[in-house]
Amino acid sequence: MAAVRFSDVLKRYGEVDAVRHLSLEIADGEFMVLVGPSGSGKTTALRMLAGLESISGGEISIGERVVNRIAPRERDIAMVFQDYALYPQMTVFDNLAFGLRRRKVPKEEIAGRVATAAGLLDIGELLERKPGQLSGGQAQRVALGRALVRQPQVFLMDEPLSNLDAKLRTQTRGEIKRLQHEVRTTTVYVTHDQVEAMTMGDRIAVMNDGLLEQAGTPEEIYERPANRFVAGFIGSPAMSFFEAACSVEDGVLRLRGDDVDVRVPAGAELPVAVTVGVRPEAARLWDGSRNGIAGPVRGTVAYVEALGRETFIGVDAGGSRLAVHQEGRTSLQPGDGVEFGFVPEGLRYFAVDSGDAVG
Amino acid sequence: MTSRRDATLTYTVLGVFSLIAFLPIAGIVFTALQQPGGLAGFGRLDGFNPGNFADAWREGNFGSYLKSSAIVTVTVVVCSVALSVLAGYAFGLMRFRGAQVLFYVLLLGLMIPMEAMIVPLYYDLRDLRLTDTYWALILPQIGTSVAFGTFWMRAFFRSVPRSLVEAARIDGASSWFTLWRVLLPLAKPAVLTMTVLLFMWTWNEFLLALVMVTDEGLRTAPLGLSFFQGRNQTDFTLLAAGAVIVATPVLVLYVFLQRHFIRGMLAGAVKG
Repeated sequence: MAAVRFSDVLKRYGEVDAVRHLSLEIADGEFMVLVGPSGSGKTTALRMLAGLESISGGEISIGERVVNRIAPRERDIAMVFQDYALYPQMTVFDNLAFGLRRRKVPKEEIAGRVATAAGLLDIGELLERKPGQLSGGQAQRVALGRALVRQPQVFLMDEPLSNLDAKLRTQTRGEIKRLQHEVRTTTVYVTHDQVEAMTMGDRIAVMNDGLLEQAGTPEEIYERPANRFVAGFIGSPAMSFFEAACSVEDGVLRLRGDDVDVRVPAGAELPVAVTVGVRPEAARLWDGSRNGIAGPVRGTVAYVEALGRETFIGVDAGGSRLAVHQEGRTSLQPGDGVEFGFVPEGLRYFAVDSGDAVG
Repeated sequence: MTSRRDATLTYTVLGVFSLIAFLPIAGIVFTALQQPGGLAGFGRLDGFNPGNFADAWREGNFGSYLKSSAIVTVTVVVCSVALSVLAGYAFGLMRFRGAQVLFYVLLLGLMIPMEAMIVPLYYDLRDLRLTDTYWALILPQIGTSVAFGTFWMRAFFRSVPRSLVEAARIDGASSWFTLWRVLLPLAKPAVLTMTVLLFMWTWNEFLLALVMVTDEGLRTAPLGLSFFQGRNQTDFTLLAAGAVIVATPVLVLYVFLQRHFIRGMLAGAVKG
C-alpha cells in the first residue's frame, strides 16, 4: 500500500489541455473518487497514474517513488477497466493468474491467492469458464478479482460499474467498498456518477474541464461546495440556483429576486448581488406558518417527480426552476400555482461572476 | 424478421449467382473426365476417364511445376505472414515517429500493380544476378504480400479493444508476450484468412514467373500450364485436366481453412 501524489500535473494533447495543474494527495489506504462530467480529465488523470498516458508536466508519485518515467508494469498497480478487458481466450482462473505468472509468483501461491480472491468475490464456481460464458455482473467480479489477486500498492478503477444495470450497480457499489475496507489498498476510482462518488469515496475530487474544482469528504463536498459547479454537480436532484440582491435590514438578510423576497437570519457578509443555491431538501411547500422557513415564494409547478416515499416538485419562480422536496406524495399537477419557502441554513451563496462560494 | 417472400427471393438470387460461378468449374471438371480427343461438347460427360489426369501430369511435367510453386508459395506465405503480423502489430497498436508516412509508403505496394513494376524489377534483379532463381519469384512477392498483410493485420489489431492490451501491460506482460499470448489467439481467424488469400495470390501469380525465369525446372504451375496449353492447343480434355491439377492445391487449402476464413471475413464487417 502506498500514498499517491499528483503535483501540478499537466496533460496536453496538441493544443488542448486535458488536465491542468492537478495537485492532489491521496493518503495510504484511502478510497478516492475522481468525479466529473465527460471531458473533465478524470480518466486522463487515472491513465497517467497507471502509466498508460505520458505526463506533459508535473510529477506523479506512488509512495516515495516518482513514477513519471516508469513503465506501467513496474508501478505495482492493478486496474479495473470499464469494459473489464478480460482475456477472452483464457479461463477465469488463467485471467486471475496472468499477472501473478508474469511476476514469477510460485505456482502454489498463485493457486492460494486465486482461491482467496474467488472466495471473497464468490466466483469460485466460474474459474473454469471463459469470459464469453459470464454474465455482465460475473465478468465484473472477475475483473475485480484480477486486480485483487495482484495485491498491488494501488487499485485503479475506471468506471467499473457503468456497464451494469441499476440494481446490480447498487449492489456492487457496496461490495467494492466492503472489499476495499477489508484489504485497505489505496484506491483511485473514476466515475461520472455523483451517487457512486458520494456513497463510495472516503474523499471525492470533483473535476471539470481539466481542473480540480474541489477535493474533500462527501459531506464537505455536499454541505460546503467550493463553487457553483460543484454545488450543481453533486446531489440528485441537483441544487437549484436563482439570482438575488442582498441587503441587511435590522440584522436580517433580505434576498430579493424576480418573484422572491425572503428574509433569513444574517450570517457572514455577502456582496450586494449573489447567486443563491438551494438543495431540494432546503425548499419546502408553504404550509401557512413560518415555522423557521423563509418565504413564501410563489411559483408555477413545472414537473412532478414522484418516487413513492418522496416527491420532487419542479417550480418555476424568480426566473429559475427550483426543485422542492416533499415527503410522500402530492396532488399538485404541472401548471398549478404553488407557494414554498426555504430552510435558511440550507441556502448557499456564490459570487455571480466567478461562481465561487461566498459567505 | 424477413418474410417468406423475401427469403425466397434472396435464395433465388443467391442460387442463380452460385450457378453462374459454379458452371464453368463444373464444365472444366467434366471436360477433364471426357474421352481423350473425342470432344463431345463443353461440359458434357461422355464417360469417366480419370486416366486423363495421369496423362496430363506426365506429359505436362506438372510434378516439377507444382514443386516449384510449392517452394515459392510456402516460402512467400510463411515469411509474409510472420512479417505482416509484426508490422501490423506495430502500426495498429504502437505509437512511433513517422508511423503514418511509413504506412502510406507500404500502401503504395498495394496500389501499384505488378505490371507497372515488372520491367524495372527485372533489370534490378538481373543486376543482382537473381533472375532465373527462386529468389526472383520469392522476394518481390514477399514485398507485395507484406503490403497487403500489414494493411490487413493493422485493421485487425485496431479492432481489438485497447483496454485488453493495456490490461496486459499493467499485468506485467512485455509487448512480445502481449502479442504472442493475448492477441494472436484472438487473431487466428484474421491470420488464417490472410494465409488463404496470400496463398491463392502467390500460387496464381503468372506475370512475374513468366518474366523472371526461363529455366524449365523453375517454372511455376500457372506458367507451366500456359506452356502446356501452347503444346496442346486442341486436346481440351488434357488441358482441362492440367487446369484442375493446378487449381487443386488452393482449393484444398481453402476447404481446409474455410471455417476460419468465413469468420475472418466477417470479423471486420460485423461488430461484436
